[in-house]
Amino acid sequence: MTAAPILEIKGLNVGFTGYGRTSQVLHDIDLTVETGQRAAIIGESGSGKTVTMKTVIGTLPHPAGRVMGGSVRFAGQELLTLGRREREKLKGTDISIVHQDPLASFNPVFTIGEHLDDVLRFADRRLGTASSAGDRRQRIEATLRQVQLKEPERVLRSYPFQLSGGMRQRVLIAMALMHRPKLLIADEPGTALDVTTQDEILRLLNQLVAEERLTLIMVTHNLAVVRQTADYVYVMQAGRIVEHGAVRDIFSAPRMPYTQRLLEAIPPLYGPRVERRQARGSEAVVRASEVVKRFVAPKRWLELAPPAVTAVQNANLTICRGDIFGIAGESGSGKTTVARMVMGLASPTSGRIEIDGKSVEAWRKDPAFRRRIQIVYQNPASSLNPKRTVAETLSVPLAFSGAIEKSRRPQRIRELLERVELPASFAERYPHQLSGGQKQRVAIARALAVEPEIIVLDEPTSALDVSVQKTVIDLLLRLREELGLTYIFISHDLSLMRNFCTRIAVMFRGEICEQGTTEEVFDSPRHPYTCALIASVPVLTDAEERAKPSVTLEERRAVLASTTQ
Amino acid sequence: MSAANDALVPAAADELSNFARARRRFLGNPAAVIGVLIVISIIAAAVLAPHIAPYPNHAGSFVDFRSRHQAPTLLHLLGTDNVGRDILSRVLFGYRVSLLLVIGVLGIAVPLGVVLGLLAGYFGGRVDTAIMWLTNVMLAVPPLVMALAIAAVLTPNLVNSMIAVTAVWWTWHCRLVYRVVKSVVAEDFVEAARVAGASHLHILFREILPNCTAAISVKTTLDAGFVILFGASLSFLGLGVQPPTPDLGTMVSAGAQFLPEKWWEAVMPGLAVLYAILGFNLLGDGLRDMLDVEI
Repeated sequence: MTAAPILEIKGLNVGFTGYGRTSQVLHDIDLTVETGQRAAIIGESGSGKTVTMKTVIGTLPHPAGRVMGGSVRFAGQELLTLGRREREKLKGTDISIVHQDPLASFNPVFTIGEHLDDVLRFADRRLGTASSAGDRRQRIEATLRQVQLKEPERVLRSYPFQLSGGMRQRVLIAMALMHRPKLLIADEPGTALDVTTQDEILRLLNQLVAEERLTLIMVTHNLAVVRQTADYVYVMQAGRIVEHGAVRDIFSAPRMPYTQRLLEAIPPLYGPRVERRQARGSEAVVRASEVVKRFVAPKRWLELAPPAVTAVQNANLTICRGDIFGIAGESGSGKTTVARMVMGLASPTSGRIEIDGKSVEAWRKDPAFRRRIQIVYQNPASSLNPKRTVAETLSVPLAFSGAIEKSRRPQRIRELLERVELPASFAERYPHQLSGGQKQRVAIARALAVEPEIIVLDEPTSALDVSVQKTVIDLLLRLREELGLTYIFISHDLSLMRNFCTRIAVMFRGEICEQGTTEEVFDSPRHPYTCALIASVPVLTDAEERAKPSVTLEERRAVLASTTQ
Repeated sequence: MSAANDALVPAAADELSNFARARRRFLGNPAAVIGVLIVISIIAAAVLAPHIAPYPNHAGSFVDFRSRHQAPTLLHLLGTDNVGRDILSRVLFGYRVSLLLVIGVLGIAVPLGVVLGLLAGYFGGRVDTAIMWLTNVMLAVPPLVMALAIAAVLTPNLVNSMIAVTAVWWTWHCRLVYRVVKSVVAEDFVEAARVAGASHLHILFREILPNCTAAISVKTTLDAGFVILFGASLSFLGLGVQPPTPDLGTMVSAGAQFLPEKWWEAVMPGLAVLYAILGFNLLGDGLRDMLDVEI
């Protein structure tokens, strides 16, 4: 490896100023990326990985962000002392970035064609090479073909909302590629998407790097993604690079405990590290038979048949006491709808759901129902009222269930906080004073307040960092042991389900396509969709990669929604 | 490099309390501070009018034809009107009427609008249709015309002009709260409260309302200025407070006959209205920046 470094960062220090104070967020960053290399920067949220990349590309928030020293050289040229105009010329041309959120990156009132043309026109203008509309159009279409979009003309005419998430992500990549950049920065591409879509996006990036001889810097928090898309990895923690090395070395022998923690936080899909959980008994608590849910749009005047969508089709489930019952599937597959029907928050169009032998419809009128089943939502930022303290939030179920007299409530709140391993002093805090993991613990405490038997966990860790995810999962397991709870766990994270659930149902386009114990589903999946889903999960080791079910391209195409047309 | 580092505070110690942050935002905004000072001066003027007015007895039906139509002098800082009353004294007393109007109107219109907006946004369906239909119909009528109609039917006095202004004013608060509630209701914590067994009453007033208070308080502050203007407009047209009670609108109206020669008789009370509106608007804008809400 004697190739010249394309990007060389030395002793970079960056601070943010606000309210008259400055706090340093990057400390002496040293980072070298050679031409043609695939590098990755990994760390938890807040570790400074995005700020580093923003400094490189020159989009630090102004005037808050301030470079306090160091040097950033791109292809031998010092960027930090470069004039504004010269710097602008590099942006989007030689250095390009692919953003994380494919929807937020587009302006909803412009077509994809207008977006791409703007990017190209302004880049051309910065470079001082005027271009004609026809010429730009040709270059745009060529780039869209490069990212494997099948019908460029149609894509160009579309508005952002008319494309699927996967297609939008492809367009974003095309946008970054338009000026044949030398360095491509990818900021968590595809993390907002389903695992199967993310897999396709990562494959595409790999292919582009090989074909175009690009240099790629991947910014991510997921080590399993790094294994697929990088040769060299920098690990960041609290604004410092704590470890770096070839991916193979870091993965086989991480030196820093922090890196080790990040690695361990990723649940394995196969192999000896997999934790197996046995079902407890066979006494059914939740039973769903032939459940159908159709959503019908409100009837308009003179409209005979308003449009309808079948969200759940003939679902049959049996959940036993003590189970951790996983419902897997991509977004839109109907898994949340099933859980909402079990909760009694939505009623099935036909079919029957029973809890302890009594239908949910009958339960709904019974105030004791809420003491039987509770829910923990996906996003604790939304499920906790920002204007209410932890104690106020926790006192709601206590007050309305009537289980506990008012004078004993503070005592009970302290017990609940203790149960979820939070200090009693947190009772007086507001949600914004808590971290994501702490908020989710409060949400769990609220669900526990009425001492339910069943808790629905609606992707309870998907909004959290991987290392925090592990602590929350451990807490949930401990609570299950102590309180004999039954969980219904909704998730799209298969590797997590592999280590957490006792039984799994896989949902595909509203139907339950596969159901069984976790071992059955992972060791011998029957439905091609289950195979494709498992095959898409990023894993940490080659051994796991080999253990995954093999899926041919045709099989994938048959079950997965296309992201190319 | 090291010199710069020394000035740094570790990130954790950097956290300002909410109150400190809000205070910083407020004090860093000269317009807001001026707004507060103006509003305080108006309230002080209204409360202390009998003590600080140079001629307290001029607030009533006092007549002194020898000193009528006097231009501003040291004796009469804002001049005198057509029956010789000191305009400054009458302006100070006029603020009493204006503030009473603000308190009366907003005291009724805001809670009414807020409750209706909460109900419409939370329950949706027919409740929503009925309340928002009524609101939109009320909004479709030009507010001044509506208030004129009501004021014309009832006998013109302070209470009736309050009723007239209130009748049109609640709609704005209803619409504002409705919009905020619609977005708050979509948050998971509303459903979570329901799952926890909370009653509608609890969800409406304990979970949702606290998330609307920032918007309501900004809107109410901005409104105060406009209510003063609205009340003055009604009085100007002869449908508001009746003489001899000093009222800014009535004073402008009476002084207008002597324009342009005796300009101070209309302009001085007009400036007093302007001063009040300016104060409440600056304060409202300051609050908006401080609480970070969109109106």
